[in-house]
Amino acid sequence: MATPAPTPGDQVATILSEYAATPGVSDELLGPDGAIRPVWRQFIDHLAALAPSDLAERFGRGDQYLRDAGVFFREYDGTASTERPWPLSHIPVLIEETDWTEISRGLVQRADLLEALCADLYGENRLVADGHLPASLISASPEWLRPVVGTKPASGHFLHFLAFEIGRGPDGTWWVLGDRTQAPSGAGFALENRVATARVFSDLFAEARVHRLAGFFRTFRDALQGLRTDRDSRIGILTPGMMNDTYYEHAWIARYLGFMLLESEDLTVEDGRVMVRTVAGLTPVDVLWRRLDANFADPLELDATSRLGTPGMVGAVRRGNVTLVNALGSGVLETRALLAFMPKIARALRDEKLLLPNIATWWCGQPAERDHVRAHTASMMIGPALSTRLPFEIDESTVLGGEFRGIARASVDAFLESDGANLVGQEAVTLSTTPAWEDGRLVPRPMSLRVFLARTPDGWSVMPGGFARIGSTSDPTAIAMQRGGAVADVWIVSRGPVAPDTMMPPAADAFTRAGPGILPSRAADNLFWLGRYVERAEGALRLLRAHHSRLAETADPETPLLLHLDAHLETLGIDPAETVPEGLLSTLDAAMTSAGRVRDRFSTDGWMALKDLAKTANRMSESAEIGDDAARAMGILLRKITGFSGLVHENMYRFSGWRFLSIGRSLERAQGMCATLAVLADPDAPDGALDLAVEAGDSVMTHRRRYAVSTSRETVVDLLALDAMNPRAVLYQLGEIRSHVGYLPRASIHGQMSPLSRAVLRTHTDLAVQTPETLDTAALRTIRREIGSLSGLLSTAYLV
Amino acid sequence: MLFDIGLTFTTKYANPVSVARHLLRLVPADLPGAQTLHSARLDVTPMPAERSVFTDFFGNSATEIVLRAPHKKIEVHMEARVDRYADPGLDLSPDLPGLRREIAAFRGLGPDAPHHFLGASPRIAPAPEMTAYAREVSDGGLTAFGTVCALGMALHRDMKFDPEATTVETPPSEAFARRHGVCQDFAQVMIAALRGIGVPAGYVSGFLRTNPPPGKPRLEGADAMHAWVRAWCGFETGWIEFDPTNAAVCATDHIVVAYGRDYGDVSPMRGVLRISGGQKIDQKVDVVPVGGR
Repeated sequence: MATPAPTPGDQVATILSEYAATPGVSDELLGPDGAIRPVWRQFIDHLAALAPSDLAERFGRGDQYLRDAGVFFREYDGTASTERPWPLSHIPVLIEETDWTEISRGLVQRADLLEALCADLYGENRLVADGHLPASLISASPEWLRPVVGTKPASGHFLHFLAFEIGRGPDGTWWVLGDRTQAPSGAGFALENRVATARVFSDLFAEARVHRLAGFFRTFRDALQGLRTDRDSRIGILTPGMMNDTYYEHAWIARYLGFMLLESEDLTVEDGRVMVRTVAGLTPVDVLWRRLDANFADPLELDATSRLGTPGMVGAVRRGNVTLVNALGSGVLETRALLAFMPKIARALRDEKLLLPNIATWWCGQPAERDHVRAHTASMMIGPALSTRLPFEIDESTVLGGEFRGIARASVDAFLESDGANLVGQEAVTLSTTPAWEDGRLVPRPMSLRVFLARTPDGWSVMPGGFARIGSTSDPTAIAMQRGGAVADVWIVSRGPVAPDTMMPPAADAFTRAGPGILPSRAADNLFWLGRYVERAEGALRLLRAHHSRLAETADPETPLLLHLDAHLETLGIDPAETVPEGLLSTLDAAMTSAGRVRDRFSTDGWMALKDLAKTANRMSESAEIGDDAARAMGILLRKITGFSGLVHENMYRFSGWRFLSIGRSLERAQGMCATLAVLADPDAPDGALDLAVEAGDSVMTHRRRYAVSTSRETVVDLLALDAMNPRAVLYQLGEIRSHVGYLPRASIHGQMSPLSRAVLRTHTDLAVQTPETLDTAALRTIRREIGSLSGLLSTAYLV
Repeated sequence: MLFDIGLTFTTKYANPVSVARHLLRLVPADLPGAQTLHSARLDVTPMPAERSVFTDFFGNSATEIVLRAPHKKIEVHMEARVDRYADPGLDLSPDLPGLRREIAAFRGLGPDAPHHFLGASPRIAPAPEMTAYAREVSDGGLTAFGTVCALGMALHRDMKFDPEATTVETPPSEAFARRHGVCQDFAQVMIAALRGIGVPAGYVSGFLRTNPPPGKPRLEGADAMHAWVRAWCGFETGWIEFDPTNAAVCATDHIVVAYGRDYGDVSPMRGVLRISGGQKIDQKVDVVPVGGR
């Protein structure tokens, strides 16, 4: 007899069998009465009805999406950083629309208040003059930037994009844990969490009345476009560069919103205007979404040691020629100790009461506050007053519950007495719990939310959703990702139907084709070198495959042919004695580095293919054995590398960027082929060298078809150097370079050829007039040198 | 006293510099009640592609220049006529606990607010050794003004003037540990020590008259730009200036160029440029009373 099918009620009971709210802590799923909150009902029923295998497959789908999309984060262990897989907790946090409306009202009020506070701190300083804010607190902050005091922002506002970290306290009300005003990160990640989670619960998501996120981004993009004074200029995202822990997000947002991803190297200031160095010359930019901490933005007037800044940036800001989102100096609002004064500031500046309280904070620079903190150390977290970290980002200098976390000191009392002005006490965080999936059950885990606000012409727009941090244990200090925490999507569930939304403009707009955009010189440089490195690696792979297959045939590494080939490989920095030579791996690394710097410029598929190639090569270097096995390994790598090239060349828009990549590839291939022929088609080369050249030139079939008779120096040189139809031939590649160079900006100057165009034409002609007889080893070396010098001319003209 | 001041600042590079951007703080200040700038001119060779002037946070006049043509040498020449009539006035300052109360009562973040000059600034941080030294020499319930003078005299006695011992980057704690340095080190040590005991202290760059009045010794540091200390001594007395290198309260022989928290705020020539190879800086200063001697 069959067991009766479990009822839906049993299934819910099963997944909730270990779920209980912690006493004294509120819970997202369960109300104070212990019953499931209505907003979760449909989700929990759906989840409970899924078979374990189905659920695992769904989670896998979400994770696969994140891997495919290349989402990762950087983890620091004090000295080095590594890329880690994105730690998605698959269970979203569900919040009722009515609750969200309350939260939004509170945050919009807070955003307006922060704007007013910022304007006061950089303007008339009324709060200090009236005694609402201690002057010493502001003057000691490293984020209060004196060079911009008195400067009014060009857009009229200091703040355009904000994030708030919020949590729910034991009594069920929401609290602000921290304000992120400098360069808030996470909005892009929130959207990736959404896409992944929607894949996990695809059927449910479609009918769950969850508010969509795309509209938020569209509104902000349009708002930023509206801040431009020059309608033709593009908006830039200013990033510290690829070693930053949220670089992935910078590149992602640039791609998603169609903004330029800019590093300080891309920028220069001329006559007080910020300009982008592009392959077509300097182009002004007047709106920069700043993801770089302000102190690093200008070595001339801010931190002189910064290598990430643009000299003259502060001057451009002072003259009102550039809008920075957010303004330089807005980081001062993140100062922990300010939380202690926010209720007072709200009354003083706007005659309002805070709708959403922030975490209770006492600045120990004042005697009464210091005494209060001293009397309540057991329930306090005591830490640096000027720190801009969030309350749960606890460091060595923090005192928690009366205990020193790191540095040992005599006593908390003495510490407060001697260092009071540098300390704040904050109520120890108690966060609400939300469900996470562990071993087939739901378990309660502490969580906090990051909510994003963007300024639009119609006021602040609140992202309906956000980015939830989920603790790995029940310890609320373990929710930071750097401490093993996970992240989750946030669903704001509407009572009524929600409109689907995308980045597409409303249909009513007339279609206009956008211009192709501009190419910063640094991006062009990286694309050029990416093209070169990938082609260099491919050339090396072909030679190595030939080496190993010959070795497999003869089993003698000392044949004249192998010795001849090995000597050539060594001049290329490749040691053929290593199965996957270090020289090859470092070329692939260099390709990865170049690609990593222009991740906004080609598809995720291309990036993943390149990553996969480098990973496979590294793996093989540990396992492959010389000879047949290595030849097969090279074959695999060759297929992967051509896969990458195919992906990139098939889907890259045929604009300047693609041309630089292509020129890099052609230049490297032409040069490599000249070198190969000079060695392998030399009259003194050992027997078999000509066949090797044809094989390394991937032209075995063509050669056989065209020169059925026999292999001679003439047939080989003709096919691999002088054949304008063979994409492996030097002449063909020079023709490609010539055509690309003709399309580059400033290819001719007042009707006259540029030095680069002239040199390309000369080299192309020099080769075209040769015959296999005249193109001897010396002539090949000369052509190779000429091709090499084109690289320098290209750099001078476009890349520096 | 009326002075004619001439300054030539020459930087030579081993290899040509293609692009450079500099901030120059070289022109004497105009300080109501203490110093009048009658005229000033600043010439830069080669001719900069861009040049502009602004007033920085601390009220100093800063000239920003950009050079876009390759150059191996840059020469800045400044000429000014300045009337200096500073008077240190009477000591009406409170003792240190009193000063602490007055600072707490000072509500403001303007350029002269004491709060900027109390804690650590990028180049000058109080440190226990210097604080202990300051406590020792100022012990005995002196006024704030008295404390500043006592500390300045003590440092002048205990530190040796030695142009070879330190560089522009030497931190005050190191100069203090070895008890030697040039005017910048004397000033930085004194500032760190004053901040350590709660006296707001800032850095002053400026000029000294080149030749002393008859019968007086030539001042140390007169052949180059000079540095000294300013300290806030309460609402009544305000800011006073002291030169620890010469053990003197500053009066008419000290011409102020710029005020700041430390050298970083006032550096005469702060530049961002890429250089390969070395550079050599020379300066020539002449400060002569108008009408003779």
